[in-house]
Amino acid sequence: MPELKRFIRLCVATAVGLAVSAGLVCTQAQAQERELKVGYMKNPIQDASLDMMDKWAKAHGVKLTRVPMAYSVFMEKVTATLTSGTDQFDVIWHNDDWGQLWKKWLEATDDVKGMENADRWPLLAFWNDDKKLTVVPMAHTVGTFFYRTDLLKPEEVPTTFEQLISVSQRLQKEGKVKWGYVGGMTMNNTWFSLWWTMWANNCDILKPLFERDNDKLTAAKFEPAVSEPCHREIVEFWWDAINTHKISPPGMTAYGRNEANAIFMAGEAAFTLVDSTHFGEFNDPKRSKIVGKVGMAPFPVGPRAQKPTSWNEVWGWAIPKGVPAERKQLAKEMLSAMMGDEAGQIEMWKKTGGPPPNLKLWPKLAAEDKDFAALKHAVFDQTPITHSAYYFAEWPAVHKAYSDMAIAALSGKREDIPKVLAEHADKIRRAATGN
Amino acid sequence: MNEKTRFMLALITPAALVLILFQVVPILTGADASFRNWTLHDPKRTWVGFANYLHVLRDAEFRDIVLPNTFGFMIATVACSLVLGLAIALMLNNRFPGRWLVQSFVLLPLMVAPVIAAIMIRWMFNDQFGVVNAALEGLGLAPISWLTQRWTTFAVILLTDVWLWTPWFALILLAGLQSLPPEPFEAARIDAASAWRTFRYITLPMLRPVMVVCIVIRAIDAFRTFDIVWTISGGGPARATELFSIYAYVEAFQFLNLARGSAAAVIGAIVIVVFALLLYRVLNRFVEVSK
Repeated sequence: MPELKRFIRLCVATAVGLAVSAGLVCTQAQAQERELKVGYMKNPIQDASLDMMDKWAKAHGVKLTRVPMAYSVFMEKVTATLTSGTDQFDVIWHNDDWGQLWKKWLEATDDVKGMENADRWPLLAFWNDDKKLTVVPMAHTVGTFFYRTDLLKPEEVPTTFEQLISVSQRLQKEGKVKWGYVGGMTMNNTWFSLWWTMWANNCDILKPLFERDNDKLTAAKFEPAVSEPCHREIVEFWWDAINTHKISPPGMTAYGRNEANAIFMAGEAAFTLVDSTHFGEFNDPKRSKIVGKVGMAPFPVGPRAQKPTSWNEVWGWAIPKGVPAERKQLAKEMLSAMMGDEAGQIEMWKKTGGPPPNLKLWPKLAAEDKDFAALKHAVFDQTPITHSAYYFAEWPAVHKAYSDMAIAALSGKREDIPKVLAEHADKIRRAATGN
Repeated sequence: MNEKTRFMLALITPAALVLILFQVVPILTGADASFRNWTLHDPKRTWVGFANYLHVLRDAEFRDIVLPNTFGFMIATVACSLVLGLAIALMLNNRFPGRWLVQSFVLLPLMVAPVIAAIMIRWMFNDQFGVVNAALEGLGLAPISWLTQRWTTFAVILLTDVWLWTPWFALILLAGLQSLPPEPFEAARIDAASAWRTFRYITLPMLRPVMVVCIVIRAIDAFRTFDIVWTISGGGPARATELFSIYAYVEAFQFLNLARGSAAAVIGAIVIVVFALLLYRVLNRFVEVSK
């Protein structure tokens, strides 16, 4: 059958052609300059940090390839790459949320020059079992209480939960805003409502309160603190804020940070709390009606606290263990250059609101930049009561169980809150122990 | 094996290879993972037998929330889309001015990606900026926080799915209607049968085989719905609108427990295969009886 012979000949010719082309491409690639591939999430801060690395790469004849990924798949995709031992990326974005999950797959970074200038507090999540660090910080991520400077003088900004309610209600009555406080509440936005008030009320998720040592948490059998009075108070605070005092929108239990930010940027709320990195967005004239009218202040405190708290963590870069030694060295040189790039870090702050990883820059920046001075006062000058996450493998399941509990409690009757919290305590414990 | 058979096999081989590599192998790998201790960040891969299956089946949330939600959603969306799709198909089966325009308009949702539709709907039902609440307020009614309560959230999800899939039903049923023989309808007209009786005793019985195929295909598809629920509610408030596919996704990719996620997916696959076979058998009998 001549058709069959022709078809087979065509298939063979195509296969040979493809193989030759692939060979040519490989040869050309090998002949090219040295290359470092960075796996990251598309975000202005990460791009600004990569710009600093790019400066170094160009000066040293290295090709820097950016491989952006969506946040929703980043951790899963990179985890799969790390555990398979391949060298798909030479440098990857690293975050405290999954710091401990990756510790055995990452190269130690203590020897990266410039690490001596990094803040040690936010690095807790990134130590491996040999007491070596596995991250180079890129920028600090800090929760920041924002208020409207056109509505309130600095001395009028609420410093307690009670004042948050009374000032909000006053502004609402005066017709200046539709809502007092707005913040994200759904899973992965828990920080922007429930959790900042929890820490600001001297409370936590697990016992012993504020403990982040996994051995001690294991010894305490991951006992949840959600039935404690300090915890019940913050759930009741939000229930009242939404239903009784009506300072927050009724739909807030379904809000992520996008919805909350949209309301704040539309000028319809007086206060919000979100990462400082959104400061740039609030002052973007294309997206915001409150440009130049946003101030920062310390967190208001709950009835059980005496002074404001804060959280202070970092985003960073890491080097997978599977990367060949020569490229690991090159990656460390590049990260070292980023840590030492003072002009680049100041530019990153000005462009994105991402606080520089080099602590030495802070006093200088605070002296010449009023926004950084305000952030320093609001966050960095306050003592964090603890870290803003837990660092054990089952933490995402605990976060989900907590979020489900809180939303269920806030969606029901006020008098049922203690019952809902007690019922869900066991779910949180089971999530923490993997059962 | 003659040359013609070899030629046919040569043509089928590339597609079969792609199917094996990208469908069969991943399914087998996933099934294998479900019997092992396989977390994404620390894949020990030790054999644990049915432990992951038992964990999923003993999980009260899976039994009491996820499975009822999944079946409830499947039945509601298939029923609503079928009724609306049939109504639209019947309308488009008649000649009227501007029919082509209506036909194109009706088919528009089919061209929208479900995630885009879900994002659009989420903002339409936003309690502050949403067009739905603006309309309610315009009518003097109180705005509703659609996504904070179980049944209103479920209704929004259902509406989105029905909006997306009704045109598909309409298209298939319209093709079915246009392929029906004209003689029974002419006879009914001669006998002065009313429109309802013609529909009830001629159109519907003759269209049943097409409807059965539509229902079975769409029911299987609705069982594994993920994108619109994830985008609109993430399975919330709390876990009130969580479906089986979200349960499997959260276990595998939020908790990074690939083994439990795979076990949930395999359980779901078995449930839907059994359900689809039963549904097909029941509906097929219904069609046989109607003959």
